[in-house]
Amino acid sequence: MVLQILVNGILKGGLYALMAIGMSLIWGVMDIINIAHGAFIMLGAFTTYWLFTLFGMDPFVSLVFSMVILFVLGYGVQKIVINNVIRAGAFITLILAFGIDIFIKNLALVSWTADVRKVQVSYGAANFSLGNWVTIPTVRLLAFILVIVISLAFYFILNRTNLGRSIRATSQDLDAARLVGVDVARTYAITFGLGVGAAGAAGTLWSILFPISPMMGGELTLKSFVVVIIGGLGSMLGPIIGGLALGIAEAFGTDWFGSTYGNLISFTILVAVLIVRPKGFLGKAD
Amino acid sequence: MEKKLIQKFLICGIVLLLTVLFPLFSNNFTIRFGTDILMFAIMASAWNIIGGYTGYASFGNVVFFGIGGYITAVLMERTGMNFGFAYLAAGFGAALFAVLIGLPVLRLRGHYFAIATLGVAEAMKALVQNLQITEGNSGIYLPLLNFSIKAQYYFFFYIMLGTLVLTLVATYLMLNSKLGYSLIAIRENEEAANSVGINTTWSKTVAFALSGLFTGLAGSIYAYQQAFLKPGPAFSVETTVKMIVMAVFGGTGKLFGPLIGAFSIEMISETLSNYFLVAHTLFFGTVVILAILFAPKGLIDLITKRKFGLSYFLENIRQHRI
Repeated sequence: MVLQILVNGILKGGLYALMAIGMSLIWGVMDIINIAHGAFIMLGAFTTYWLFTLFGMDPFVSLVFSMVILFVLGYGVQKIVINNVIRAGAFITLILAFGIDIFIKNLALVSWTADVRKVQVSYGAANFSLGNWVTIPTVRLLAFILVIVISLAFYFILNRTNLGRSIRATSQDLDAARLVGVDVARTYAITFGLGVGAAGAAGTLWSILFPISPMMGGELTLKSFVVVIIGGLGSMLGPIIGGLALGIAEAFGTDWFGSTYGNLISFTILVAVLIVRPKGFLGKAD
Repeated sequence: MEKKLIQKFLICGIVLLLTVLFPLFSNNFTIRFGTDILMFAIMASAWNIIGGYTGYASFGNVVFFGIGGYITAVLMERTGMNFGFAYLAAGFGAALFAVLIGLPVLRLRGHYFAIATLGVAEAMKALVQNLQITEGNSGIYLPLLNFSIKAQYYFFFYIMLGTLVLTLVATYLMLNSKLGYSLIAIRENEEAANSVGINTTWSKTVAFALSGLFTGLAGSIYAYQQAFLKPGPAFSVETTVKMIVMAVFGGTGKLFGPLIGAFSIEMISETLSNYFLVAHTLFFGTVVILAILFAPKGLIDLITKRKFGLSYFLENIRQHRI
């Protein structure tokens, strides 16, 4: 029983980690708290939903589409809107992100109504057992493996490519990066695109596992915060540790206190971690 | 200087007089709309104390609104207390909560403070959803006001107006006291403020408590007016967003900025919803984005500088781009 809860927690934690990777990247590099993150996750989920409903495309195929579409969208938003105020300070970009969030949410409401929908894949309920100990839902396991693959891809991009070097240089010192010839505006746009693309991937996986609606984003943004805060900024491992920690804590918490206490547990953890260790458990000190 | 001050007081007096007379020439619907504007003006002005003057952008101020509302509901429903006492208890309860939560949370800065306050509001929502005494998710009813319909509209309008005047007068007095200067010093440079002997922890906590006090009072009136309270709407993130957007739209760190913001946002929003039923839902997000891009100092900056040319907006957008 305990083992089963642990496995459930880890599998859900993987999804939390993927949600938070994009937010952590954008926050760490540009000091933007992307409140619209959940709205982008929602767009990823709906991309998958429509490709599935209209063309019968398998979610694990449409994952690529939602990542690419969301990357382009994120690139555009940063280039056209956010780059214009990026130097105005954290508070201004925070409110701007709120504006973007409200805009996307309402556009989705107007276009698709507030209906709750589901991507009903034939293999949705498939699972297998390990001995008599634990049952593992196949889709969740596949999703978890994808989370690891995407995290590794991000790690590779950031640490082994020229693009990654530009991104890291820009995050360390904007003016110095510009002096050595980094196109800062473009690097910012790509960073935001990557972060939002990861949100798109998270949205796709979310849509296979849970019902979706235009209003789903708010709570996911808050969950992503919790994960980023627990893990801390500035390392690729942060969101993964944070995600797993939140997933496991939630799984055990709801088992002990009942499912209606899930949010209370997450946000209490959030505030407690902020007060005790504001830079997170893996974050770098100032 | 003296003359200018008299001029300003005169303008305030005229605006106040017009607002007091407003219900006499309006129907119930318009009075209710005016009451809503006043409520948001209180909350935006209260947010301005901590977010605008002190520079601590709280993203969880709705928690005081919800607490104020729920204190009123629980006291009136469970103990039969009358509204006057429940109203005061709501304000002081919210202020006390601000002190308790402010002591640890106000040590955080910038993003971390914003998210911590957001987390506090969400945790409180989840707590109220699970408590017996607040009737959880099904919501709590309040006793109905025993007045005629017309008198009810008047009652809520004037008590809301009174609370707004109280908020603005208190903010004005605060600005002209040592506390006001301390807060602005903290906003500009907290280390420097500390090093010249300002007790920053005390000043910040008092500012947060004042912000909580007035927001709690607004929540109390709102609860009584609605006669029914649910955790979802009472602790909605959207309400916090509205306070902030109104304060920013009008001008943060200015006494009348949030008031102007609340008035204009509500007016534009109402007008649009009358003519474009679908499109007006997109309005709020668009206004936020455009305001941040082109007029981040708010309407009050436009009014006081008397600059309405295109160059003003273009200058704003050129200032912070990369």
